[in-house]
Amino acid sequence: MAEQIRIISKNFEVPNAETIDVFIERGGYEGLKKALRLTVEEVVEVVKASGLRGRGGAGFPTGVKWSFMPKEPKKPHYLCCNADEGEPGTFKDRKIIETDPHSLIEGIIIGAYAIRSKLAFVYVRGEFGLGYRRLSAALEEARARGFVGQNLDGTGHDIDIILYRGAGAYICGEETALMESLEGKRGYPRPKPPFPAGYGVYGCPTTVNNVETLCTVPHIIKHGADWYRSMGTKASPGTTLFGVSGHVNRPGLYELPLGTPLREIIYEHAGGVPGGRKIKGVIPGGSSTPILTAEMLDTPMDHDGLRTVSSLFGTGAIIVMDETTDIVAVTRRIAEFYHHESCGQCTPCREGSGWIPQILRRIEAGQGRMEDLDLLLSICANMEGRTICPFGDAAAWPIRYNISRFRADFEERIRRGSGLPDPGPVPGVLGGRRADLIPVQVSA
Amino acid sequence: MPKVTIDGKEITVNPGTTVIVAAKQLGITIPHYCWHEKLSIAGNCRMCLVEVVGQPKPLIACNTQATDGMVVKTTSEMAVQARQGVMEFLLVNHPLDCPICDQCGECKLQDYAFEHGQGYSRFIEEKVHKPKRVPVGPRVMLDAERCILCSRCIRFCDEITKTSELGFLQRGNHVEIGTSPGRQLDNNYSMNTIDLCPVGALTNRDYRFKSRVWEMAQTASICPGCSTGCNITVWHRHGQIMRLTPRINDTVNEHWMCDTGRLGYKYVHAATRLATPLVKSGAAQRPTAWRNALRQAAELLKGAKAAALAGLAGPFATNEELYLFRKLLTQVLGGKRLDCRPRDKGPESADGFLYKADKSPNYRGARELGCVAAGKEGWESILAGIEAGEISVLYVLHEDPVGEFGESDRIRAALGKLQGLLVQDILPTATTQLAHLVLAGSAFPERDGSFTNDGGRVQRLHRAFHPPGDARADWRILRDLAQQLGAEWAYDSPADIMQEIAVEVPAYVKAVYAELGSLGVALQA
Repeated sequence: MAEQIRIISKNFEVPNAETIDVFIERGGYEGLKKALRLTVEEVVEVVKASGLRGRGGAGFPTGVKWSFMPKEPKKPHYLCCNADEGEPGTFKDRKIIETDPHSLIEGIIIGAYAIRSKLAFVYVRGEFGLGYRRLSAALEEARARGFVGQNLDGTGHDIDIILYRGAGAYICGEETALMESLEGKRGYPRPKPPFPAGYGVYGCPTTVNNVETLCTVPHIIKHGADWYRSMGTKASPGTTLFGVSGHVNRPGLYELPLGTPLREIIYEHAGGVPGGRKIKGVIPGGSSTPILTAEMLDTPMDHDGLRTVSSLFGTGAIIVMDETTDIVAVTRRIAEFYHHESCGQCTPCREGSGWIPQILRRIEAGQGRMEDLDLLLSICANMEGRTICPFGDAAAWPIRYNISRFRADFEERIRRGSGLPDPGPVPGVLGGRRADLIPVQVSA
Repeated sequence: MPKVTIDGKEITVNPGTTVIVAAKQLGITIPHYCWHEKLSIAGNCRMCLVEVVGQPKPLIACNTQATDGMVVKTTSEMAVQARQGVMEFLLVNHPLDCPICDQCGECKLQDYAFEHGQGYSRFIEEKVHKPKRVPVGPRVMLDAERCILCSRCIRFCDEITKTSELGFLQRGNHVEIGTSPGRQLDNNYSMNTIDLCPVGALTNRDYRFKSRVWEMAQTASICPGCSTGCNITVWHRHGQIMRLTPRINDTVNEHWMCDTGRLGYKYVHAATRLATPLVKSGAAQRPTAWRNALRQAAELLKGAKAAALAGLAGPFATNEELYLFRKLLTQVLGGKRLDCRPRDKGPESADGFLYKADKSPNYRGARELGCVAAGKEGWESILAGIEAGEISVLYVLHEDPVGEFGESDRIRAALGKLQGLLVQDILPTATTQLAHLVLAGSAFPERDGSFTNDGGRVQRLHRAFHPPGDARADWRILRDLAQQLGAEWAYDSPADIMQEIAVEVPAYVKAVYAELGSLGVALQA
């Protein structure tokens, strides 16, 4: 069994790692000091060469994204750190913010430097109470020590960071909705074009990066692109935090190279399935990514690997469901989440995300019709690729793939009909444990 | 200059032109709800999804810029299927209450369901219910269930009036439009949201349930409420105005009109409208026949020497009426005293947008056509002349000096001294009450003619219906009176009069009716 690699997670179990002294003692802010001695172009080049891909879900190469920003600023440039982690099953960014906030601040300062920004925003998920307090305290420490402020380390570079708390909307994790919300408006995704690198926060060129992405940057600067490329795969280098939840013996975060087989993560790192039960399905990258069947457990967990099984890497949030899982209930529950969180701006998502759980509730209650399954697939098809933002796809995929990969379960439920009592609200489809309530632990 | 192909037709457009606009220039209408040429792009309805060759997914035509070599298909399988999908989604939670909906007959949801829908529904669940009959403002009613959330009304209040009363509330398929607590949609342009609303969500509280759309006739006219001269459509049935709506004219009012103008028509159907000529008989005024009225009017006017004769024109009369009024007084009767005053309510009464300080529609026309006295020869001097006994006969056209000019006691007393007071108007006023003879004229929807707005644009009014009772067109009253006085006036219509104005008044040389069209022409410098 491959051991965990401790890069992003190196301070996760260190007492008081959230304080600046412990952070510095363990090598913190060294990447920043090195970065500030490089030119902006050199920083972007190193990150480009490292092949680091965004950890917020889309997996876009970070260095390339930075290079989209104007080379000669005409307006202020802004860096936005997306700390609105809300994808069900995902809990990596929360852990970073709560236990190692200075690593994020260090990453933000380097990221801001790389895009010629003097002001960065951190959009923190509203529910992250502890994380927000830790991050606020860390920011004050960093200011007091001169890591945040003017003329950093005598280089003439300035940076300020503003923390902004969200108000509890999943959609505000979508980068353009995030910017609207940051501006004090309703969190509605913007139609693209224009793209954030040209027209972002307050109409100025903006880059939005995920927490884990930014936290990785100082390590790449410190150790170099080749070092980073020595881990992971060619197309998806490095390590990432896999968040494993659901029916496993040791749920938690595991920092492993990209490309680690799903089976190894579940059975070797997360301790396998309780009671030795079989796996029914695995959601590989957060609730919106297409579900995998037990036959797909040997899939390498990286962007290309998951594409071979028509799924997505997403946020590396692995939700394991054993053979006792009611897949109809799972689908209905996921559909209700997306109904609850659809912002309602554009027609296909607004109406489709509401219609789907209505049908699924009926099927679950034994009132389903066999034609409902094709109707659901047709509704998904009418949502996918027709919406302003990727939410429409995110809401449709789990429904489409749950039905296409577990159609027999749905047909069976429909055939049994209303002979069953109405199950009512299902108490926690994941064996009674909600992924977001499972305590985060990192195995030794 | 990018050259694009849309449905097989090529067009070269300016850089930055969107596909929906390029298609429009080709005469191809791409169905849409949220897009509006005067508002920012929202891209939310998704009705304008089209196929762009080479793109794996359909794109919205409203936010896709036409690029060189782009090939767009609006009727391909991908585009048709995408539209059908959106159409189905829009109807899923729509109440489908067309039989009792005011928008029925002019509803884009109906039109596009007919053109682009599947013709049947796959939806068997319970619909989402939202508030109905919400008085979102004093003049606008909201039915949140009918709303398709296109945000046109919100963008109008954000971008055009900049008052931002409206916003979205809730999320997902529970989203509805609304105002913040304690706020109302009460700006003076609020009713434009009704026109912008492509469905029956925002309806006109004044017009609600009065008529079906297809029962009404539409007549192009000009709002008489101020000097802007907003182009309007009069919607009428059986001689009654049901509603006024703005008519698009980018040089004047674009797509808009103010609520004051839109609801300013009530007087047209007042029970007190003058429906017959009135002649003073002792202390009272009694109805009389036109033949008698015209004979008596002629006698009144002839009874004074030219120097003792004065005219007061109202800026509410049309160009044609003002021209005839001046010609009658100066050429037929030889009079020299004539004036017209604007209805200026001061700068505070203007809003900096469409609603102007001068609340009359044709003061500019009165000036151009010589009805406004120069220097000290104006109303003040006429009034002094009456008080001094130098002026004994006054002819008032669509004006109410006693009620409107201030110092009403002084004017009433002065007019009381006249040997002859002839007033042509549409409603009883403080001035008509003093008149020896009242001639019943026409209100704006009863008139053919033109106004000249404050920007010097000559614009046509068309007659929607006849004036009440025996009331007559004002140009005809003036012509008949001139004939009674022995003049050989042969005008058969306001068009004949404008033909003469175009010859006699150089500024109006291009203002003949054949040239005015529906959008008017500018005065010639």
